[in-house]
Amino acid sequence: MPGMPTDGGGAIVPFRGEPGLGLPPPTVRPIHHGVAPPMFRIYVSWSSGNLLQVACLRAPNSEGAGGAEEVAGSVVEVNLGGGGSGGSESEEKIDEAEMRRIEYGSVPAFALLQSRKNALADAAALSRASVPDHAEWWQYVLEYSKTIGSLLGNADCPAAFMLEDPKAILKVREKPTSLRAAWELLEIFYVDKQLQGWLPERLVDWLADFDSLLSSMGSTTYSKLSNFQKKFINLQIIEDDPDYWNGLSAALSVGWLDTVVNMLRFHGSYQLDQMDNRETENGLVEAVVVLVSTMPRMRPNLPTGKLGQCCKTRPDFIKAWEKWRGQVTKLECSAFWIQCGHQKTRDGLKNLLRIMMGNIKDLTAATSNWLELFASHFLYIKPFTVGFEGMHHLAQKCIQLKPPSGTNGLTGLFIGVLSENPEVVLAECTNNFGPWLVTHAMELLTADNDYADIMLHEERPNLGGISLEELHRLVYAQVLCSHSLTWQIAPTYLSSCLNQGLGLLEILLLKQPIQDNRLVLKTLEICRLYELDNVSTNIMKVAGIYHWKHGRKGSGVYWFQQAHDKVHLDRIAQLLFERIGKSVTDDSFKQWEGLLELLGPDIGSAGGLEFLHRYRDFKRSLQQALDGRSGEAARKTVDFLMQLMRNPSTPQRFWLPLLHDSVELFNFKPNPLMDVAETTLLLKKLRELSMAKLRPDFSSNHLPSHALSSVKLALASNLAYAILEDP
Amino acid sequence: MADTPSFRRHRLASSIDFVRWLPSSATSHSGRLLAAAVHDPSSAPATSRIHLLALTEPGNPLVSLSLPTRATALRCSPSVIAASTSSGSLHLLPSSFDSDAAVAISGGAGFHVGPVRGLDCGGEEWVTAGEDGRVHVVGGGADGRVVATRVWDGKGMSGYEAARWASPAEFATGGAGCGVQWWDRRKGHAVVAQCNGIWGRGIVTGMVHSVDIHPSRKHICVVGGSSGTIFAWDLRWPQQPIALSGIGLNGMYEPVCESEVWEVLFDTYTQSSDIVSSASTRILPVMMCSEDGVLAIVEQDERPLELLAEACAINSIDIDPQNPSDVVCALEWESIGVLARGRETMSEE
Repeated sequence: MPGMPTDGGGAIVPFRGEPGLGLPPPTVRPIHHGVAPPMFRIYVSWSSGNLLQVACLRAPNSEGAGGAEEVAGSVVEVNLGGGGSGGSESEEKIDEAEMRRIEYGSVPAFALLQSRKNALADAAALSRASVPDHAEWWQYVLEYSKTIGSLLGNADCPAAFMLEDPKAILKVREKPTSLRAAWELLEIFYVDKQLQGWLPERLVDWLADFDSLLSSMGSTTYSKLSNFQKKFINLQIIEDDPDYWNGLSAALSVGWLDTVVNMLRFHGSYQLDQMDNRETENGLVEAVVVLVSTMPRMRPNLPTGKLGQCCKTRPDFIKAWEKWRGQVTKLECSAFWIQCGHQKTRDGLKNLLRIMMGNIKDLTAATSNWLELFASHFLYIKPFTVGFEGMHHLAQKCIQLKPPSGTNGLTGLFIGVLSENPEVVLAECTNNFGPWLVTHAMELLTADNDYADIMLHEERPNLGGISLEELHRLVYAQVLCSHSLTWQIAPTYLSSCLNQGLGLLEILLLKQPIQDNRLVLKTLEICRLYELDNVSTNIMKVAGIYHWKHGRKGSGVYWFQQAHDKVHLDRIAQLLFERIGKSVTDDSFKQWEGLLELLGPDIGSAGGLEFLHRYRDFKRSLQQALDGRSGEAARKTVDFLMQLMRNPSTPQRFWLPLLHDSVELFNFKPNPLMDVAETTLLLKKLRELSMAKLRPDFSSNHLPSHALSSVKLALASNLAYAILEDP
Repeated sequence: MADTPSFRRHRLASSIDFVRWLPSSATSHSGRLLAAAVHDPSSAPATSRIHLLALTEPGNPLVSLSLPTRATALRCSPSVIAASTSSGSLHLLPSSFDSDAAVAISGGAGFHVGPVRGLDCGGEEWVTAGEDGRVHVVGGGADGRVVATRVWDGKGMSGYEAARWASPAEFATGGAGCGVQWWDRRKGHAVVAQCNGIWGRGIVTGMVHSVDIHPSRKHICVVGGSSGTIFAWDLRWPQQPIALSGIGLNGMYEPVCESEVWEVLFDTYTQSSDIVSSASTRILPVMMCSEDGVLAIVEQDERPLELLAEACAINSIDIDPQNPSDVVCALEWESIGVLARGRETMSEE
């Protein structure tokens, strides 16, 4: 794309932002090209990845060069990187290398799922009557989801093997990422059918894992507790501190029972020297501890270290729940509270009891944001909330009670999921988590959701006839292509795009650098996998030309041969002839040996180079014949000569040199080596050559002027002998 | 994808082109050591380095030597780590691992122009064979400097991709389309034998990527190259190469792979399945790695034994000379794989 620079200010292209749109000003990148102005031409083109190649040229004969060596032009590469992959996670940005690890790891899972999808579709097409096995399909998607989830980190295992601090309130764990939180959320709602009945508890678990990520919305239970943790070490009387009780109620409201129990045990009344005077107080604290740790929970199992009693079925749960609530009420009405001397303990514990009773006012006060309030509803008010509609309604109520103070990608995603709106889910994923998540999460969305399936797979004229699914895959593939380490995995995604994928794949492969043989072979391997034979032929031709131009003639010929490129091989043959024509009597011919060796015995594939092969054989044989003076070797040499002279591919300009080289053979004593017919043929060729000499395009060779006459003489004498010999 | 007790992956967050065991005579506090040639195109400008890594903690390089361009070969001798680059230079890092003591021969008209993929250590001397068709022997001069002696200048007419010493006087090279050559320095630094090899799929020529010579059978080369081809070349019958794997070669089992065979090594750990008749005529087991992610043992007239089938290419392998059961490989997806072969992997066969 050539552009003419303007004179003023060195600006090349004036930028005209639409005034109404309020676009940000363009980023200006100074380029150090070292070419003195005035500039004549500037070419800009994309190189691989984020690199932009800018070629700056001066006018070919601009005056003022002053004789000194001035740069006539230069090519500089500008790296436009640093934009990231579109993710906007501010608090825990995944670095590029880590993101690449996730990208690599998700390729096999994605490819496996696609091949299973195709296999199921094929099976369904064969037996039209039976619909594809749905149960089987979501199992596959779940397996895929678990594989990808494991790449994003494991929130359950501790970050490292370390001795646990006895005074630690919060367990040290691997830092969670928004990417993982979003993935798990989608898995919970869209894929994991087995655990659908225990959905509320799963959301509580999810919040426990990822609460720390919600800090952009204001304070969270996690931030309250971690702030208290810092303060905790310096506290003398822990139960006098309001933050202690605030932390306790916050942790209880979101169901972190182990944390609550752990914190309650730090209460001053447990200290041995105070046991006696604070017996009742301690009894009350311990009673709350027991109630907290026996809270019934509607879930199949509890991970080790978590507290509560597990109830798998609804009737079991209702029974346990009634009993437990009864115990909580009983404790609240107990007479021991009057005997409790410590005011703050009394208020704090009573507050905890009210939370356990499901008092909406206290829950609202204890929780920090609407998501926490939402989770506390499941724990203490409506443990049987099921269905998207009910949940969405509840979420709306929680948002009203605790209006969000900031935005967070996760809450947006949450609302999108609850409102059963796949468009919103997709938009939130695109805006907040980048193309990797969108591409891989689409499989989760469509696992068991017909509406999302239709929405993603419908071909849209406004997108050029491609579906939303294809669009997002193409976007992700472009991101992969823009990095030289990840471009190799882009074909997996491009090949799953039926409309435009293959075309883009061809472009991608053709744009790969061809300087390095190993990289070329890697590109060709991808061509082989996707059966893109004409692309690989093109790449081989380009590589051939590159190597030939850079003096690696052998490599050049190798690639042309692999590409079956007769045109270029013939042209190379012409070039070689010119070189050899000059050094025909020289023994520097040895240099060409390697190249001829390369051509191999299959001269058919070598095009015009076939001649060189025969010529080499002839020269070698001639050498032996002249050295050894044996009749047999000489006869063989003549055979080679005759083959060469008869072969139409032997260039005319080599006729005379060949004959001149063979003069000694023609004079071979005692018997002539050639019979009458052979000699006649050679004489005919000689005459043809004399005729050709008159044509303007005849190329003269560097033989002595008497060459022609000496050949003629030798042939004539040979003919004479041959006639005599002829029986 | 998951790691197993016998196979572990370690991420390095940059492209790893080659990985080698360091001979353990070069001892250190950190236990067994690896050398890796890494390339990071995402930094601006792109960087290439040799890393010295401890097997216990490959994430943190102990020593790092910067290279001018991407490494095209890496070899270790007991005293030196050597790497050649795509710009034709050779870099020698002594086993004191002091990167200031590293010696380099820069690329250019006096040495190699373009990538040098053939590199091997034979006692005191190194052989380099480049795509420019030049072959050098590099050794220590009288005054302690390294001196490169040109053995041959092919002037680009043929390009070499691999080199291996057989004895202090003989070495083998291989390249694009030219098969394998046997060089003898006692005979005027010249090619004394030549073999085009056997290539599958009806083609007559392919690219050689790797040559290995067994230390106790110096007349036999094993060669790995394009289109999944692995063949052995016995100097005693130079015109009859023996096919070990390849597409469409008769009398063979299913080829172990159809893509580029990046590296072949004689596997001293795997016992030949036919011990009684393992006379000198039989080719010993060979380990190979390929672009389609296969790490396998191939043997003459035997079904190949697949050790790994990765989702990405395996660019380089090395067998620990001291503990031949341990194999290290460079994976395309920015990681190093360490395979510990025990009894259980062998009993599967």
